[in-house]
Amino acid sequence: MKKPSTLFAVLFAVVGLSKSFAQVGEETMKPVTRTYALKNVTIVVKPGQTISNGTVIVKDGLIHAVGQNIAIPPDAKVLPSDSLYVYAGFIDALGNTGIPKPEQPARPTGGPGGGGFRQPGVNTGSPTNEQAGIQPELRARDLIKPADKSIEDWRKLGFTSAHTMPFGRMLPGHTALIALGGTQADNMILRDNFAFSSQLTGAQTVYPNTVIAVISKYRELYKQAEQAKSHEKMYASNPGGMPRPEVDRSLQAFYPVIDKQRSVCFVAPDVKSIYRVMSLQQELGFPLILANVREGWYVADQIKTKNIPVILSLDLPKPEKKDAKKDSLIAKDAELKALEARRAAEMKSYETQAAVFAQKGINFGFSTLNSKLADVRESMRRMIKNGLKEDQMLAALTTTPAAMFGVSGSLGTVEKGKTANLVLSKKPYFDEKSQVRYVFVDGTPYEFEPEAAAPAGRPGAGGGAQASAAAKIAGKWRYNIETPGQSFGGDMVFKDEGNGNLSGTWTTAQGETKSMENVKLSGNVVTFTSVVTMGQEVNLGFELTLDGNKLSGKVKAGDAGAFPVEASKTDPKE
Amino acid sequence: MKKHIFSLTILLALLTYDLQAQVKPGTLLIKNGTILTVTKGNQENSDLLIENGKITKIGKGLTAPAGAKTIDAQGMFVMPGIIDAHSHIAIDAVNEATNPVTAEVNVGDALDPLDISIYRALAGGCTTSHAMHGSANAIGGQCQTIKHRYGGVNPEDLRMEGAPRTIKFALGENPTRVHGIGRGVMPRTRMGVEQVMRRSFSDAKAYDEAMSKYKAEVASNPKALPPKYDRRLETLADVLKGNILIHCHSYRADEILMLMDVCKDYGIKSICFQHVNEGFKVAPELAAFGASASVFADWWAYKFEVYYSTAYNAAILTKNKVVTSINSDSGDYIRHLYHQAGKTQRYGELSDEEALALITINPAKQLGIDKRVGSLELGKDGDIAIFNAHPLSSYAVPQYAIVDGNVEFDRAKDADDQRLSVDPVKSTPSFMQARSRHDHDRCMQGVFELMNYLFQN
Repeated sequence: MKKPSTLFAVLFAVVGLSKSFAQVGEETMKPVTRTYALKNVTIVVKPGQTISNGTVIVKDGLIHAVGQNIAIPPDAKVLPSDSLYVYAGFIDALGNTGIPKPEQPARPTGGPGGGGFRQPGVNTGSPTNEQAGIQPELRARDLIKPADKSIEDWRKLGFTSAHTMPFGRMLPGHTALIALGGTQADNMILRDNFAFSSQLTGAQTVYPNTVIAVISKYRELYKQAEQAKSHEKMYASNPGGMPRPEVDRSLQAFYPVIDKQRSVCFVAPDVKSIYRVMSLQQELGFPLILANVREGWYVADQIKTKNIPVILSLDLPKPEKKDAKKDSLIAKDAELKALEARRAAEMKSYETQAAVFAQKGINFGFSTLNSKLADVRESMRRMIKNGLKEDQMLAALTTTPAAMFGVSGSLGTVEKGKTANLVLSKKPYFDEKSQVRYVFVDGTPYEFEPEAAAPAGRPGAGGGAQASAAAKIAGKWRYNIETPGQSFGGDMVFKDEGNGNLSGTWTTAQGETKSMENVKLSGNVVTFTSVVTMGQEVNLGFELTLDGNKLSGKVKAGDAGAFPVEASKTDPKE
Repeated sequence: MKKHIFSLTILLALLTYDLQAQVKPGTLLIKNGTILTVTKGNQENSDLLIENGKITKIGKGLTAPAGAKTIDAQGMFVMPGIIDAHSHIAIDAVNEATNPVTAEVNVGDALDPLDISIYRALAGGCTTSHAMHGSANAIGGQCQTIKHRYGGVNPEDLRMEGAPRTIKFALGENPTRVHGIGRGVMPRTRMGVEQVMRRSFSDAKAYDEAMSKYKAEVASNPKALPPKYDRRLETLADVLKGNILIHCHSYRADEILMLMDVCKDYGIKSICFQHVNEGFKVAPELAAFGASASVFADWWAYKFEVYYSTAYNAAILTKNKVVTSINSDSGDYIRHLYHQAGKTQRYGELSDEEALALITINPAKQLGIDKRVGSLELGKDGDIAIFNAHPLSSYAVPQYAIVDGNVEFDRAKDADDQRLSVDPVKSTPSFMQARSRHDHDRCMQGVFELMNYLFQN
């Protein structure tokens, strides 16, 4: 007779299969075995090298064997992996994965007239470093929460490690390469303090607010850090007759950059930012990684000549939905037709960016910064449709970032001895119908249910998926609306009315509670309207998409245009 | 078919030129025009040759070098490219309004080569402009003189290489409203504005002295320490040394006199007053100081401190020997500065040359670029505007704008859509759509009311 504890473990393991092996039980319980066999799979060893009808053995966190005719070790758990495709786990070359988004600070109270604002306790002209978004001393390592939902969300798409940077503005802090699995932040670190992150993003209401002040401040901090560093050095060698150096952790964070020991990972999505960053680099001489590049096709040659490591964005602009009414209008108006053709051509430039870089022989990784989970795989497919070869896409997700982060010895390919970070998909990963079935991180498998075909939902009637979306949306959210130069927020409360129907209320920035009218849920998209009165009535139309634990979309405000909206759940019990 | 389009797009992207290089100067012969040199009289039925971006010959019967482009200007008027001493086009940031003094910021760091306003300015014969910081701060940021080289994405192409550094100052209601009323800090009054400027100059002087002392000392004492690097004070020290020209937003005569006193106290010699709507009251004092003035032709009463002005302002200043220009401060006016200059013939009876000087050689002097541009003379830059009638005539329509010998605007080739970059997601409404929907003002009204309601806590 078996001991009860063993029975329990087996039972848990079986139950756990339906979710994840790593989450067996609430308390940590060791898995029965750490040896897994993936039989009869197509192994994409690395870009351009495939083994069909192969076997992969994972043992104690490493890839133990790869090939055909491999003997299955007796202690191996054989996963039902028949005819799946196996890839090396993807490496996100820049994101905020694993780091919880900080709460938006309360908006300052306004002053009378002039469009100005008074902020009690804040010196707008010389704010603290924290208020100014100058925190290069922060470390991703200290901010990572292993339970942060983003880790699970990105893993589900096949990402097994991520280069992550703190949320922030001009100088958000140091990045780290982390494993997207684990229970202890320290143990998830693959490369600590890999890069010094920077953005041209100003502080919202204090100095440096505009890009011109950000650039000026960057130069000033850099030179001040050079001064402080040389003072410290002189003082250390012989302090006699010298004042003790002022200690400033933000300036000290620059030292390895000044010594060219650490790269600046500079977020530069648009072409103007790219130029600004490159000229700042030329002036100050720091080692540069250009990151989250969206409009790099203009400067691909320069990036190549200067040999600047580059991380392209997975965030492609999203085409508007097809609209028959609009199409018929376009057909009738020659000018509109030309404008639309121009717009379509511009869209192509974004879609072909990766192909252009690949064609020029420039290696690049991909960033998930600002990308929506739900759009990422479609973005990859759009890039492939527009000339990027699947191997090149795979290289950008595996071997290139592995080399960029100096971890090629352990990550990036499905080869013996490497860390068992794997993605298993039904059908090739870049195929439209492909589904991720297993992801291994450090040899720990996570299983994902086959996705059910989308329910043939009558709108509002709610199939199972719709009901589950409604359940997920129900609760309290904190929203944030970005308008030119300003952003503001308030609460939204959704109530699940059953059968995939929702109702709710929201509060304006002034604290006025409004009810949501015409609340409609279609798939993952919730829309509602609301009217605010201000001399005249203004109709607001919200359109928000549920994406992981986020709602994002836009609000159309009468004739004033549409503004981006993001909301995150504040209700702890989902 | 689809494949074909994709590879074509890639091909186009591959052809994008090397952007580090500046736009190459061109060679161009303009034939048989009436040449308005502005500084050296007019020459009828004459030719003008630009070689490698510079004017090399003016005369009759010139021949073009092999392969050079020729423009037949028969019946047309050829003048120096128009210069706007005050605009805010082609920059992504205008005001760093978080502090009363932000001398260290520079709009030259935020040049926007994709701004369609550049093309629109060219379509009005304007080839050079002074992209300025805004007037929210008593001492705003540094400005950038740009040449309207349109068509590339490299911000460096716009920068007029070698143009002197300039900085924006502002007097009166704007800084007191933004900082005094808006933020509850100095300056709340006009007295405060003066004090902010004086204090800034004193601090800069002290900083510069400390820096000089350090530089002298460090040679003999390696343990000497520099003052903590401060870009704001360093910039202001450069203003005191005359390395940066002041362009000051101003309206009232009393304030203009005040700032000249401040300049005298700190040994600052060069200053250009912008707007300067009450300049006509203190024209002799401006002339005596050597200050210049850049004005609107006939725009005032848009706020209290600019209640009192006159369309004769430019003429009165000119007759008092103040170097005067007419500026746009607008992406719209910048297209018809020649028309604005023409108004001084109605209000003040200026001569053709005096009127044209207001938008050519005089703004060039105010920006310190008069050795390069502002008149048609041998050795100067090939920056030209060509009109179908005399540019001061109401019937004049710009035909060409040329920068460094390159044709940047050609009316015959003016296409419907001259934007360099378009939003890949949002449709652009056609003219008919935009017109039928609603007028511009109402559209904006919604924005401001919404902002006030929702965002002004």
